[in-house]
Amino acid sequence: MSGFKRDRHGNAKRHDGPKPSPKKIERNAFTPMFEQLRDELDAHHDRRDRLGKASRDVTALSKKIIFSLQRVREIDEQLPQDIQTEVDSRLAEISKLLATIAPEVQGVNRYRYSRSLVCLEELVEAMTFHHYLKTQTLVKPEQLEPMMRLLVQQGPVAAEDEVMANTSTEQPVEKTELPTIGLTDEDYLYGVFDLTGEMMRFATTTSALTGKLASRGEGEDARNIVQDMHELGSFFEMLPARSFTWEKKLEVTRQSVQKVEKLGYDLKVRGSERPKGWVPDLSSGDQPETED
Amino acid sequence: MAAPMIDPELFDQLRAKIEHDTVIRKELDKIVDDLSQAVSYTQGLLSRIHSTPRSKYSTLLPQIEEGIKKEIENVGTLATFASQHPYYKYNYKWTRTVQDAIATVLLTVWLGGRSAESQVGEVGRLLKLEDIGQVFGVPVNLKDQDAFHITIEDYLLGLIAIVEDLSRLAMNSVTLGDYDIAVRISSFIKDLHAGFQVLNLKNDILRKRVDSIKYSLKKAEDVVYDLSLRNLIPAKMEE
Repeated sequence: MSGFKRDRHGNAKRHDGPKPSPKKIERNAFTPMFEQLRDELDAHHDRRDRLGKASRDVTALSKKIIFSLQRVREIDEQLPQDIQTEVDSRLAEISKLLATIAPEVQGVNRYRYSRSLVCLEELVEAMTFHHYLKTQTLVKPEQLEPMMRLLVQQGPVAAEDEVMANTSTEQPVEKTELPTIGLTDEDYLYGVFDLTGEMMRFATTTSALTGKLASRGEGEDARNIVQDMHELGSFFEMLPARSFTWEKKLEVTRQSVQKVEKLGYDLKVRGSERPKGWVPDLSSGDQPETED
Repeated sequence: MAAPMIDPELFDQLRAKIEHDTVIRKELDKIVDDLSQAVSYTQGLLSRIHSTPRSKYSTLLPQIEEGIKKEIENVGTLATFASQHPYYKYNYKWTRTVQDAIATVLLTVWLGGRSAESQVGEVGRLLKLEDIGQVFGVPVNLKDQDAFHITIEDYLLGLIAIVEDLSRLAMNSVTLGDYDIAVRISSFIKDLHAGFQVLNLKNDILRKRVDSIKYSLKKAEDVVYDLSLRNLIPAKMEE
C-alpha cells in the first residue's frame, strides 16, 4: 500500500512518524480523565499492531517451512539435508520474531491478544508436520512446549550471530531471560486439524511419485499414511465438538481422510497393473520423469 | 513394534481439557445470567426517572440502590469464579452485562444516588473507572495479573449507554416541569462528547457507539434551545 491517508485539512496522517498534532478540543472537567484513558488505549492498540505484524511474518515463514517439507519424499528420521537447512533457517527467522513478542504476551496479555497470534496455529501445523515426517507420530502438546521455549530463547542468539540455529542439535544455548510463549489448546488442536491437510498432500505426492503409500518401516506392523489419517480422523470425531470453527475444520479433515483412502484403494487395486517404474501423469504440480 | 501414531494418553488428556472447558462455560452462563437479572431489575427501577420528579428522588434512589447492591453481589460471585481462569479467554461472556451494570451505577450516581450524605446528593457527579472498581469491589485495568477486573472498554461503553437515557430524561423532565436538569444534562453530554473526541479510536465497537453520542447531544441541545426560545431557562443556571 502506498501513499498516506489524509485528514480533512489535507495533512498526511503518518502512522510511522510523530503522532499527529493534538486535535483542537476545548478542555473541560473530564478532559484529563479521557487523556489518561486515551494513553492506555493507545498503548494497547500499538501493542496489538506490533503483535499482528510479527504474527503475519511468522505465519508466512511457517507456510514456507511447510512448502519445503512437502518436497520430502519419504518418512525418515533424517530429512534431506537441503530441506532441513531451509527449515532451520526459517525457524531461525521465526525465533527472532518470537523473541521480540514474547515479553508482550505474558500473563493476562496471552489471551488478550490471541486474535493477533494466529501465527501460533500455523507454527503448530509446521512443527507437527516436521515431527510426523521424521517419526510418523503425532507430537504431543507437552513435547511442543520445550520446542517453543527453545525457539523463543534462541531468538536473540540467532539475531546476534546470524548463524542458522539448528534446534535439533545439542549445542549449549546461552539461556536468556526471555519467557516462553504459551500454546493454547486451540493453537494445538486447530494446528493438528490443519496438519491433516498437509498429510493428505504429502500422501498424494509421494504415492504418485513412488507408487507406494508413505510409511516409515517395511515390516508387518509398519503403519502407512492411510492408517495414520484414519487414526487422526477418528481421533477428532471422538473428541467433543467445541465451536463452529471446530465443525468446519472437522469437515475439511473428513475430506482429507477420504482423499487418502482413495489413494490407498487405487494403489492396492491398480498397483499390480502398473509396469515397474511407471508413474501417472499428474494434472497439477511437477511432472515426474517416467522411466522406460 | 512400531510406535502408535497417537499416544493413547493424548486422547484422554485432550478430552478432559475440552470437557473441563465446557463445565467452566456452563457455570459462567449461569453466573452471568444471575447478574443479568439483577441488572434488568435495576434498569427497570431506573426507568422510573422519566416519570418521577426530582422531589421524589429520595424515595426512588434508595430503591435503585438496593438493586445495585444485588448487582454488586453478583459481580463478586463472577469475579471469584472468573479469576480462576484466564480473563480474556471467557470475558466475551460477561462483558455486555458488566457494561450494563456499570451504566446503572453511573446513572444512579449522576442523579445524586449513593452519595456520602444520607440524603440525595448533587446532580452531575461522574464516577471514574477507579470509582467503579471500588463500587464493585474489583480491580480495574489490570495489567500485571490475570484476574477478574473491569476494563477501560467496559467502562467507556457503560458510560456511553447512559447518554441516550439522559437525553431522553432531558425531554421528560421538562415535561415534568424541571428545566434545570435539562440544561445540566445538555451541558454534561456536550462535555462527554468533547471528552470522547480526545480518544484515538479504531474501527471497533467503541467507535461505533461514540458516533451515536452526537444524536443524543442534538436531542438534548434541542430541548435547551426550545427552553431558551421561550425564556424558560432558570436565570441562576451556570452554563
